[in-house]
Amino acid sequence: MTVRNIEGVAPVAAPLREPMREKLARWVFALPLAFMLLFFALPMALTFVFSVFERTMFWMEPGFTLFSYENFFFSARLENFLSSMYYSGIAVIVCFVLGFPIAVFLRKSVPQVAQHRVVLLFILPFMVSEIIRVFALRPVLQRNGLVNTTLQNLGLIDEPITALLYTHTGVIIGEVMSFLPFIIFSGFLAMEAVPKYIFEVCDDLGAGPVRRFLDVILPLAAPGIFAGCTFIFVNGLGVALLPNILGGAGAVNAGLIATQAIAALDFPLAMAVSAIMMTTLMALLYIGHRLFDLTKILSPIN
Amino acid sequence: MDDYANPWLHRLKWAYLLLVAATLMGPVFYVMYISFNANGFGANQYEFTLEWYGLIFSDQLLMGALGWTLRLAVICTLITVPMALLAAKYYKAARNKVLPVFLFLAPLFVAPDILGSALLVFFKNVNGALRSLGDALGTDALDGLFQLGFGTALIGLIIYTMPYAFVVILITMGRYKPEQTEAARACGANGWRAFWDIEFPQIRAGVFSACSFTMILCFNEYTRTSLLKGGFDTFTTVLISQMLNTGMSEQSYAMSSLVSFVAIALIGGIILYTLVRSDSLAREARAKAEPVMST
Amino acid sequence: MNALGTLKMTETKPAAVEVRGLAKHYGSVVALKDVNLSIAAGEYFVLLGPSGGGKTTLLRTIGGFHRPTHGQVLLNGVDVGHLPPDKRTTSMVFQSYALFPHMTVLQNVGYGLKIARMGRDAIREKSAAALEMVGLTGFADRKPHELSGGQQQRVQLARAMVLNRDILLLDEPLAALDAQLRKDMCLELKHLQEKVGITFIHVTHNQEEAMTVADRIALIADGELVEHGRARDVYRAPHRAFTASFVGENNILRGTIREVDGDDVTVDVAGHPVRTGRRGLAVARGAAVTLSIRSELVRMGGPGEALHSLPGRYSESVYLGLTTSHIVALAPGTDMVSRVVEDLPQVPEPGAPVVMSWSPGDLRLHVD
Repeated sequence: MTVRNIEGVAPVAAPLREPMREKLARWVFALPLAFMLLFFALPMALTFVFSVFERTMFWMEPGFTLFSYENFFFSARLENFLSSMYYSGIAVIVCFVLGFPIAVFLRKSVPQVAQHRVVLLFILPFMVSEIIRVFALRPVLQRNGLVNTTLQNLGLIDEPITALLYTHTGVIIGEVMSFLPFIIFSGFLAMEAVPKYIFEVCDDLGAGPVRRFLDVILPLAAPGIFAGCTFIFVNGLGVALLPNILGGAGAVNAGLIATQAIAALDFPLAMAVSAIMMTTLMALLYIGHRLFDLTKILSPIN
Repeated sequence: MDDYANPWLHRLKWAYLLLVAATLMGPVFYVMYISFNANGFGANQYEFTLEWYGLIFSDQLLMGALGWTLRLAVICTLITVPMALLAAKYYKAARNKVLPVFLFLAPLFVAPDILGSALLVFFKNVNGALRSLGDALGTDALDGLFQLGFGTALIGLIIYTMPYAFVVILITMGRYKPEQTEAARACGANGWRAFWDIEFPQIRAGVFSACSFTMILCFNEYTRTSLLKGGFDTFTTVLISQMLNTGMSEQSYAMSSLVSFVAIALIGGIILYTLVRSDSLAREARAKAEPVMST
Repeated sequence: MNALGTLKMTETKPAAVEVRGLAKHYGSVVALKDVNLSIAAGEYFVLLGPSGGGKTTLLRTIGGFHRPTHGQVLLNGVDVGHLPPDKRTTSMVFQSYALFPHMTVLQNVGYGLKIARMGRDAIREKSAAALEMVGLTGFADRKPHELSGGQQQRVQLARAMVLNRDILLLDEPLAALDAQLRKDMCLELKHLQEKVGITFIHVTHNQEEAMTVADRIALIADGELVEHGRARDVYRAPHRAFTASFVGENNILRGTIREVDGDDVTVDVAGHPVRTGRRGLAVARGAAVTLSIRSELVRMGGPGEALHSLPGRYSESVYLGLTTSHIVALAPGTDMVSRVVEDLPQVPEPGAPVVMSWSPGDLRLHVD
């Protein structure tokens, strides 16, 4: 090994400019950021501007009017919006109660290699189009649907339960069926922040499941839980399909108000609804960020 | 499961987990069941048939829509996944992570109808502005740059799928040790070669999962596409309009099932792949547990 | 030899690595400040210091993994501050995790040659030779996870050496190994460097490791180059109090200057005067200073010579295998340690008065 610079090994050259390619590369990495700023952040921010434009026959023109907001806040829309918040909140609680224990169980008691496979099991329904799953609930929940006929055949009920479809209950069922996987995913990611030895420490200290959940798991996994719950809440407010297909009279959420406004060519109203939804979301995220640093959501991955 | 846990409680928890998974899939399986019934939904008699599936393939409208959907899905995947890869690398290197976290995850938190409406009005306004600009410059090259159509639907889908691809890739990247890139650089590789030779082979599984996710999500997406698509139809928009117009026809059951079959097959494929992979991982773990002793 | 090499033959040979006024800031955190250092070609140079002191930052800046905030890095006399790692005449051995897990050992070693577009047969031949050099013949087709920690580090070494770069950087290469293996590998590294004759720059926080391999040592702490010199000198005659506290097992005593008389300085320690050499330091009466003396140079017991001994009370002994440390309290909070190989005929009772003494010249004065 006394010979230096054997033929074939390119002698490492001395003064070279920083290669153009590497300079360029640094800009390429910012490209997705620019794309999201232009086509996501900007349109969402502009909803606030467009919401105060004047409505014209088929479109809108620049101006300043709060007519759309009046239209929203002093009509049945506000009531619908608030009640959809209430029912969306119920869906969040149901999803959390049903789904989060699964995430804890997965992390705590399932061998590492199997964990991701079980998560895939819950990705499966998510991979089937949401509209198909929502539509598929109709034959399941309706008067002569799967649930009612099964219960009748078992002799548990005499009369079919009609409250399952075209009611607020129907919408909640739809939301739970649509969004339950998300609380499992976010809970699973969040539980990465709870090291497995925590369970052993709790056992050692004699902390029961309730104390363990309140004192240890909840604070550690809070950012992920919050993210999952916020996701379900705003989608419960914003997915028009759910009340449209499963709800009855009065089941109108923000998404439905917006799309109905678009269909009626009332674009400023649609933008006002969007702006109100963005405000709601921002407020939630701000509160969440103040309570527990939301950048931690991704920290388990790092 | 630890050694002192009650095995029956453990089994009960597993049973609950599987019950929830089955319930979530229940409606889909029920739809599949109906789709093979010659007599349709609610009939007393069940008679197996493939007739409804045959009808789908003879439906010109539907086949056309399928073509558009495929085109959208493929192009969206080709754009989204590389962008998500760049985004993940950007995120890893960024000192201030708030902005990338916010931008790449926020689309999850904006409901489809809200995002669709906002983009629709945005594009219409941009179009108007570009047309005025074009008039002032005396060119009509700018007209219709953001006319509702394939391009706008594509942008909507990219924004929708970006967070999923981003998270999937980021998770696989989490296991990659950056020292390896530095080692490659020390071996004389430039940034690109270090990525392509060393990092990419190790995150390939994540990139491919991101691809299949993006494809499936594009195929399933309805709200944003229907608001932004302009003139053409996709699979889901045809499906929805048929359902809304004629109610749940036997044919719509068959269509829904068909899409679900494809999705299930894809995910099933991934599960099988990970099974095979985890086997080799287990072998690796065994090898690590008993390292070959030093010479 | 490349153009550069012939150039340097005709003139005085430039240093393999020269660092001028180097600083590295991370936002408001200063990782390195104004480091000046010159490492000669063919030297085994060790950067020693506590964790987080900046030694790895310095190494990585030399290697091109960090861009300096201020200052210059010259390799063989050429400023390379703007060049990425792959364009520098350095190669690197990392602490751990740096083998490519999807490649075999042979592919790992040959990767740099593949990048250099060498022919396939030549790659195999040279890689095999490099593996033989590190004693891993027969392991060529294994994957990294089938190797022990020590073997993995050998593969890294082979991968870096095969490139024939003239400077090898080693970033805590032995930190992940257990104590015995570390000792063996230290010697191997030293022999390897003597054999190939290229410059090694080795970062470690372990002083024993540093003393084993180094021709010269630089101490780095708090982002500053504290002191550098031949390994023996740094150990025997530290200039700075920090060096004395970090290298060897020194007693560090604080005192105030009572009297300066030419080259002799008398210092009050725990109320008693001791004498030490001035070593050309600027000192004045009443100034607070630090004194250091290696514990193996301190004798316990006996009357002790005035000005070269201190009285105290015996507190305890710590048995360390080869040596035993006897700890004596000079004053509350001020201890002095005497480290001896042989067993004492009689160990004093705790609290018994004893005298600690040393030979004139062993006690060193520091002003920092």
